[in-house]
Amino acid sequence: MATNRWLATGNFFTSYKEEQRIFLTNIDRLCLWLLIAALYAWPFFVETSNKGMLVLDNILIAMVAILGLNLVTGFAGLISIGHAAFVGVGAYTTALIASGLGTDHVFLTHAWPVVIVLSGMVGAIFGGIVGLPALRLKHLYLAIATLSFQMIFQWVINFSKLFNQGQTMSVGRVFWLTGKVGRKDHYLFWYFAVLTIVVISGFLVRNLLRTRYGRCLVAVRDNDRAADAMGMHPGFTKVYAFALAGFFAGIAGSLHCYLYRGAGIESFTLHQSISYLAMAIVGGLGTLSGSFFGPAAIRLLDLGVENLSSWSSTFLPSTMNIATALRPLTFGLVIVLFLMFEPRGIANWWRIIKSYFKLWPFKY
Amino acid sequence: MRKMLMVTTIGLMAACFAVTTAQAETYKLAISLAITGPTSDAGAPYAKGVEDYVKYANDEKILGDDEIEVLIRDDQYKTDVTKRNFEEFLDEGIPIYLNYSTGSTLALKKDFEEEKIATIPASFHAGNLVDSNYIFLPIQSYSNQVIALSEYVVNNNKGGVPKVAMFIHPSAFGRGPVEDTKGAVEAGLKMDIIEVVEHGKDLDTTATLQRLMSKGVQYIICHTVQSPVAVLLKDAERLGIIASSFGEEGKITFLGAHYTGGNDLIDLAPTASANFYWTTGYTLTSEPGPGTDLQLMIAKKYGRDDKTANSHNYTNGMMVTQVAIETMRRAKAHGKEINKATLYDELNAMNGDNAYDPLTTTGPVTFSKDDHEGVDKLQIYRVTDGVFKSVGEPFIPKYAVKK
Amino acid sequence: MTYFIQLLISGLVVGSIYALSALGFVLIYKSSRVLNIAHGQIIASGAFIAYALTVYAGVPLVISFFLSMAITFFLSMAVERVFLRRLIGEPIISVIMVTIGLMSIIDGVIYLTPFGSTNMSFPKFFPPEPLNLLGATVSWTQVVGVILTAIIIAALSWFFKNSTLGISMRAVSDDQLASMSIGISVPKVFGLAWALAGLTAAAAGGIIGNITGLNFDTLHAFGIIVFPVVILGGLDSIGGAVVAGIIMGLIQQFAAGYLDGNWGLQGTAEVLPYIILLILLLFKPHGLFGTHEIERV
Repeated sequence: MATNRWLATGNFFTSYKEEQRIFLTNIDRLCLWLLIAALYAWPFFVETSNKGMLVLDNILIAMVAILGLNLVTGFAGLISIGHAAFVGVGAYTTALIASGLGTDHVFLTHAWPVVIVLSGMVGAIFGGIVGLPALRLKHLYLAIATLSFQMIFQWVINFSKLFNQGQTMSVGRVFWLTGKVGRKDHYLFWYFAVLTIVVISGFLVRNLLRTRYGRCLVAVRDNDRAADAMGMHPGFTKVYAFALAGFFAGIAGSLHCYLYRGAGIESFTLHQSISYLAMAIVGGLGTLSGSFFGPAAIRLLDLGVENLSSWSSTFLPSTMNIATALRPLTFGLVIVLFLMFEPRGIANWWRIIKSYFKLWPFKY
Repeated sequence: MRKMLMVTTIGLMAACFAVTTAQAETYKLAISLAITGPTSDAGAPYAKGVEDYVKYANDEKILGDDEIEVLIRDDQYKTDVTKRNFEEFLDEGIPIYLNYSTGSTLALKKDFEEEKIATIPASFHAGNLVDSNYIFLPIQSYSNQVIALSEYVVNNNKGGVPKVAMFIHPSAFGRGPVEDTKGAVEAGLKMDIIEVVEHGKDLDTTATLQRLMSKGVQYIICHTVQSPVAVLLKDAERLGIIASSFGEEGKITFLGAHYTGGNDLIDLAPTASANFYWTTGYTLTSEPGPGTDLQLMIAKKYGRDDKTANSHNYTNGMMVTQVAIETMRRAKAHGKEINKATLYDELNAMNGDNAYDPLTTTGPVTFSKDDHEGVDKLQIYRVTDGVFKSVGEPFIPKYAVKK
Repeated sequence: MTYFIQLLISGLVVGSIYALSALGFVLIYKSSRVLNIAHGQIIASGAFIAYALTVYAGVPLVISFFLSMAITFFLSMAVERVFLRRLIGEPIISVIMVTIGLMSIIDGVIYLTPFGSTNMSFPKFFPPEPLNLLGATVSWTQVVGVILTAIIIAALSWFFKNSTLGISMRAVSDDQLASMSIGISVPKVFGLAWALAGLTAAAAGGIIGNITGLNFDTLHAFGIIVFPVVILGGLDSIGGAVVAGIIMGLIQQFAAGYLDGNWGLQGTAEVLPYIILLILLLFKPHGLFGTHEIERV
């Protein structure tokens, strides 16, 4: 039966190939393309502020990092408490290139896409190495291997002269077709650059999950013995899950380094790792859309509670610390309450909304 | 509904008021610092110092009819957040910026250069000044503080070359001064640096102290934050090796730079901190003077508790605000518009007869093109009967390094 | 030789304080498989409650110390009841996330009080003279810490071995479904585990607060410091936590005593536990005393 590719109220797949489509309906596809086009277009119509763009850049970079984290923790089920360290590996790769060649070397400023991919690869190598214990370790014990990597990473950066002992290592401004990207356009430029990378990465991950290797990850998460029996190699799968996570983290790190024009250890601490984990969980582990919702939600929440706190300080007595305390308090409260009522993350809401429209006018 | 009505009325009234006093301008002063999170024990009173002095300046009409609006943002000691706040402040059009941590000051250094905005951080890290024209340290750098302490040790040690150990924070913040002090030793300061100890999150430093004792160390110069020093001092107290007078034979005298001391140290180690030598460029309320009177008056006026009122971090926050507002006042007095460039020029001209004495420091604030360390004179304080009392007169370290 | 003995004794003492801090972590993991990221914040709260009782309410230090243990016992129980009870049966990772949120909430509550951003210290209670042991010295606070650890661990061991409630807790940690089917109330067991964890955390907070002084940053950092201890011991073993705590204490002291300052090394005490942990896990993937999971397809 030739089904209507625009409006499908249920699943009418007749072949496996149909189920494997990226978009279930043409409306899905159309909406996504429109969204992407809108994301590219809006800065031309609205006046942007540096702060606003910085916030957006940050969210987009976190999305790249969370794509990686979601692969390893969400799809492959391996908790990583060291994701910030992988991001750090990427950032420091870029920073090392800068300190080795000079902060304004052509390679760094003109061939920045190459540098970014290179940093991602270094991240992947480290990811693979840290993933090696996965051949033997399981569950939380494995999480601790990543924690150890986090601590060792911090120690190495903090103590070696090569990395400027954790102080900022700077990177120059990049060039684009229009010439040097100056301070005014810096954040806008990186908005487009990171957005492009997010779109590409999103499609990469979506396609990866349609392949045998993507399904391997899920199989290993659900039951690695069974996966083993079906001819997959659980150990190898885990290692490459880590390598992939390291790759995306490395790219995010390199972007972070370019955006902030330098790398310093403060941005890659254990605390940061935990907040990456928070983004992944709030977004929804094991879902692709969760990787986009999570960072946006957490970062915007953070901004929201900051505004709440500074707004409340205008009328709360400044002799007490209520306004300052309000910030961590509301942040925590929102997260806890959200998870109490929706433990599966925002992606679950998204799924429900989508089904609602799909099944309309029938009730979900 | 009623609330909305109220807000609109107030807004309209304010608008009318703004129209009638057309000439009065509002200048923005901004700071991003850690009010919560790591080092908030220093950041919280610092923020209050900034806030109160701005209120005071507005109440006293230091800028005449012009008002100062203060923007205080909590960055939780995260560099990323500091950068975000800074960008927002720039969008707001601030003419001068107050920063906080070492990490963020270094990370934003290039932005300060490009934006050509004068910045006064709470971090006195000497590295802040490297390759930078726009960062102004309020007092001498950590390096010079440690060197001042070393000089004090050398000058007051009886017999022979003093044997010194350093107890430092495990980061660039801690290590910077070590290099510079070694430089001073090479330049002729007669002192033996026996060992440099980097602390962790220690619960027991007995073994470290015993090792240093066995190596014959007489002085330990600390450069970190209060908490680890408190643990070290408590262990030393228990071992009975804290010198009761400076340089006592067979015992160890403890000394520390700006962020190791203050009332916070006494609060953390009430008895063990006895005889601790500390250096800073600020006046303390335990040594009353015109500056501390001003500070206590302001703190009382704006309802601060005793702890805040007597905190040296409160003084610190007040002082940087004093300097910032003074530059605005001067620019105005010279008939110039208040903007980034004029305030930067005023800061650089703050020397000679134009040196500024905020009273809250141990000497006048002097800045020039090649001197970006404000108060040059450092005062040594010593804990006597549970409070810091000054020892000798403020002095400028002879081997001070310039960056 | 004295130096060696001092390092040894200091290591043992510090190690048992680590063990005490780690206990609460293990208790929660053992019963509900949840990593409690907010553990450090509970440790800090315990110390602050003891201080508030002593200084603001004028209760003698010893009594307020035990009172703070009792208060955190009920507070933790309340936290479990309010925030975590709903999540029984939900993915564990979501529950871990809730503890991250909890960390932020407790932070906020503490910043509401003066404790968040000021430094304080307990009134002097123990005699200032050190205790000599084979030429090495330890403080009374530390000795009390060790004794307290020993008592709490003995009590817990007895509790888990002999009391009905303790046995049902072990049953739940073994198999939730099976224990439900024989009439054990799993929510009650979780509540009790959190309560006991709160109690031990407060004890740890009191001891650490006495040693370092009361500084929020310093205190809550111990929630992370005990991580490697817990893993080394094997997440769900109380005895393991004790042994691992002591091993960690010894490693740190010896690293700081013999490695730092030589060969250009510094701060090895911070990182060596993790390196050793990694190597050890390669040989013993379930820690020293962790339960070996039997896996079925």
